[in-house]
Amino acid sequence: MNGIHKLNLLQFGLIYLLLIVVLAIMKKRGINQSKLLIVASVRMTVQLVLAGLALTYIFQNPHPAFTVMYLVLMTGFAIYTALSRNRGINRNFKITVAVSLAASGLAMVAFFILAVVGVNFFNAQYTIPISGMIMGNAMTGVSLGLKTFNQSICESRAKIETLTGIGAKPKRILSPIVNSALETALLPTMNSMLGMGVISLPGMMTGQILSGTLPTTAILYQIAIIIAICAVTCLSVFCSLYFGAQTLYNKRGQFFI
Amino acid sequence: MDTLIKTRGLTFLDKIAYPDMEIISGRAAFICGESGCGKSTLLKLFSGVITPSGGTVEYLGKDTGKYDPITLRKEILLCSQSVFLFDDTVGGNFRQFYGYREQKAPDTDRMREFLALCRLEFGLDAPCVTMSGGERHRVFIAICLSFLPKVIMLDEPTAALDGQTADGLLSGVIGFCAGNGITPVIVCHDRALSEKYADDMIVLERGAR
Repeated sequence: MNGIHKLNLLQFGLIYLLLIVVLAIMKKRGINQSKLLIVASVRMTVQLVLAGLALTYIFQNPHPAFTVMYLVLMTGFAIYTALSRNRGINRNFKITVAVSLAASGLAMVAFFILAVVGVNFFNAQYTIPISGMIMGNAMTGVSLGLKTFNQSICESRAKIETLTGIGAKPKRILSPIVNSALETALLPTMNSMLGMGVISLPGMMTGQILSGTLPTTAILYQIAIIIAICAVTCLSVFCSLYFGAQTLYNKRGQFFI
Repeated sequence: MDTLIKTRGLTFLDKIAYPDMEIISGRAAFICGESGCGKSTLLKLFSGVITPSGGTVEYLGKDTGKYDPITLRKEILLCSQSVFLFDDTVGGNFRQFYGYREQKAPDTDRMREFLALCRLEFGLDAPCVTMSGGERHRVFIAICLSFLPKVIMLDEPTAALDGQTADGLLSGVIGFCAGNGITPVIVCHDRALSEKYADDMIVLERGAR
């Protein structure tokens, strides 16, 4: 197999014409989101061009510091995004989420790069894309898990108050709420695993095949990353909620909610 | 006659200042006073669900803050006003509440005894979802009584009941408490019922000391 067929910029420009189709349909159907479509398309383009330039520079001038910087930025952004979608949780809860997300995400990246792939951890070509997928999925999972957890806490005020009054332990009261939020956060990953290879060829595998990797190698990477994503989602959501739930009450067993 | 609960200079959040009071073992204490004068808050202070802003609550001569909070709440049981029941049968609710307290549920005969005590004629497989507010409250009171605490605090147990049912409930509950060494502390708006069943009355006034 050969390397990938390079895109001609003019031909590449054709793809933007498709946005006109979307705009036309939205206009016709009175969907008032044309501004969002334009902003989103422009942001996506600019962000990816910048990322492309940055990665090209890093690959040409490999240095561990660049890899570390990229990891730190990515982790920080993941934490920021997960928390910004879940305002109104207390400070210790936020710290717990940040630590859980960073620790389980980075541990998973290290395990994947060092143990499974077996290359140098500071090898930007492997570490940056892999950590992007792992961190991104952990972020989505934590975000969803936290949202579900907060919602059920709000809906369970009477239950929590009643059970507190009869002498149930706070941990016991919160445990089913933690469990069901964890389940909700895990379902999308597990459902996507069901259809994989039949309904969808996942992005990473598609990318590798396009760039000339043997499909048999590409699927090994894909299987490995999917399992890593499943595990990191489980770990990061579990740690965030299990330890985070303990910030909702004090040592006298009194709830702050 | 032993003093079970004793308060001194009790305040909560600068809003409520309580007169000093004592709950005596084996005597039915009724708490009354207009809405918003801190009756439910007082019950929560007794069992340490909240901590006083000032003053002390003593249980058996020892500050409630020095007890293990879960043990204290099991001994001074709060049967709250906002009733929560699981979407389950009556028997299922017994089992769920016992599960949350990490205790084994009583047998079905025992459950039926407590239901009868609260003037309920449901079977154990009756679903709680379709019950009226008053019926749900009594199911919850039956479950709370079955825990056999030292003190049972009932927050407006008769609010949603007609006069006859309310009277029946109070006579059943207070009779059971007297026979089983349980001290009832009851928040009640109904003056006639309070006068009929109270051994001691605690009258709260808004913001007074």
